Amino acid sequence: MSVLTIKDLHAEVDGKEILKGVNLEIKGGETHAIMGPNGTGKSTLASVVMGHPKFTVTKGSVTLDGKNVLDMEVDERARAGLFLGMQSPAEVPGVTNSDFIKTAMNARLEEGKNVSLFKFILEYDKAVSELKMNEDLPHRYLNEGFSGGEKKRNEILQMKMLKPTIAILDEIDSGLDVDALKIVGENVTKMKSKDLGLLLITHYKRLLEYIEADFVHVMMVGKIVKSGGVELIKKIDTEGYDWIKKELGIEDVRVIVEEEEEKVLLGVCATKEALGL
Amino acid sequence: MFKYKNSVEVNKDIPSDISKFLTEDLTNYLVIKDGHIIAKQIDKSFEKVEINDIKEVIKNNNSIITNNQFLNSLEDEAYQYNLEEVNSGIIVYVPKNVAVTDTLHIFYIQEKTDLVNNTLIVLGENSELKYFEYLYNDGEASINFVSNSIVKENAKLTYSGLSKFSEKSVVSVIRNSYISRYGRSLYSIAEINDSMTDSKTNIFLQEQYASATTKTIAITSKEQSAKFTQLVEHNAPDTEGIIENYGVSNNNSALVFEGIGKINKNMKRSIARQQNRGIVLGVNSRLDANPLLLIDEYDVEASHGAAIGKIDEEQLYYLMSRGLTHKNAQRLIISGFLSPVTSLMTTKELIEDFIGSVENKTL
Repeated sequence: MSVLTIKDLHAEVDGKEILKGVNLEIKGGETHAIMGPNGTGKSTLASVVMGHPKFTVTKGSVTLDGKNVLDMEVDERARAGLFLGMQSPAEVPGVTNSDFIKTAMNARLEEGKNVSLFKFILEYDKAVSELKMNEDLPHRYLNEGFSGGEKKRNEILQMKMLKPTIAILDEIDSGLDVDALKIVGENVTKMKSKDLGLLLITHYKRLLEYIEADFVHVMMVGKIVKSGGVELIKKIDTEGYDWIKKELGIEDVRVIVEEEEEKVLLGVCATKEALGL
Repeated sequence: MFKYKNSVEVNKDIPSDISKFLTEDLTNYLVIKDGHIIAKQIDKSFEKVEINDIKEVIKNNNSIITNNQFLNSLEDEAYQYNLEEVNSGIIVYVPKNVAVTDTLHIFYIQEKTDLVNNTLIVLGENSELKYFEYLYNDGEASINFVSNSIVKENAKLTYSGLSKFSEKSVVSVIRNSYISRYGRSLYSIAEINDSMTDSKTNIFLQEQYASATTKTIAITSKEQSAKFTQLVEHNAPDTEGIIENYGVSNNNSALVFEGIGKINKNMKRSIARQQNRGIVLGVNSRLDANPLLLIDEYDVEASHGAAIGKIDEEQLYYLMSRGLTHKNAQRLIISGFLSPVTSLMTTKELIEDFIGSVENKTL
């Protein structure tokens, strides 16, 4: 049974602090849900735990079974058992889904050892059909031209194949229609075991109708401001977040203010302009 | 006009770098070393195709060379030198209405003398050919490689190749294709040379409805500098040309792509498209793409684009978040990036050689 412990975690991007002291402990067998309005740092927390290069940790600690996660490279964290189902996973042209998963599975074995091809194909095909994805998936390029829903299902497929001990699913429900949400929910629920600690990040309670959570946390201004059980979901669903804001005296819950991207003028070579040449 | 220089005698030993490809899986091949055909295995599927050594063709004053309006027309110093000094070459003639589905593989090896090669491929009306060339040397040499293709009405040429010249060589490559009405050429070349290289692919769309796609993938490393020029010239209306470049530059190397889509006056309703993509791996590497559109007609469609940058951080992060090491993630991204050419390698050995060479140059 694995334990992920986050203590007083502070992190910033471009000198701007986004996480302002997050405390959270996830044990194998537990399912946690983090809810909260937009821009409060939920996805940042997921990215920082996984080690996205954009963020700098300024204070606090993250450990997995006592080992310092912050000292590890991204790939070491993954091999230690962490998994992040991403909100908008990258597209990688020319790399097929099956090649990618196979390489990722081999990366977990000793050097020179490979997963059995036969076993791999059986397992992969099973996962594809359980997630009701198209049979041509293994030969398609990784996330390239995928719809939002397909990308999300592909994340769950990878989780099924890689069998992490701590999995964070970052807004896995966004972009999914009701049927797809149900499929994803059922598949995640089926993976639940005492060896898997789950952290779900979501805006909506919809996802939590399909994946039951044991603990619910609310995030605002870059930290967890309220924790409780499933009763918290119900209250947020009927009353929104205002009562929490009032209780804590917070006016602006956001730590991330979206900036408008700089526009590129047409009429000149757009590529050069965008590159600042 | 052609003047053939007799090259030195060679032994029939095939270097191990090449003999490893000559497996059972590889059908229909020629190995030509310093101008001499030293191995040949052609099966029945090519029985109607004439494949000849250039020196025989020149000796017999064959009309295929003497009556050819295009072959002397290109104004280019390296090209003119080639005509004066040619010492190696193959003439492939696919007669009218002959369509071959198997691929013809030609391995060109330079060993003792500087290589001046001239290969000519002529496709008669309604014919079809798949041609693959592998250019190789190991040592110090000057290489002047020319190939011309004449694609007649409604014929289709698929021309692919892999080029691996050594670090100590100086290389000039010119590939020309002249395409008639409804004719089609598809050029895909992987340039994995370690040499100083100046490579040109010139496509001439000579008659209405002719079309061509030309793809180059190039990787430069160490102190290498290389330039790849692709020209598609529209000499008839309703013609279509597509240029694609994929490049990776590593270490202290410099790689330049010149893509030129040229639509001449009155060549109405022609289409010229161009795409350049590049990854700059090393801190001191350079990669320049100069996409040019030279258009002297209003009624056309044209586009060009270039996307050059470091290896995508988000892609790296994504692959690493699934447990791949930085090295493996980078390797997978680059092999994916170059996949438009991988699919042209016909046997397992050729694919492995391609991937292996790419990895060596991108370490």
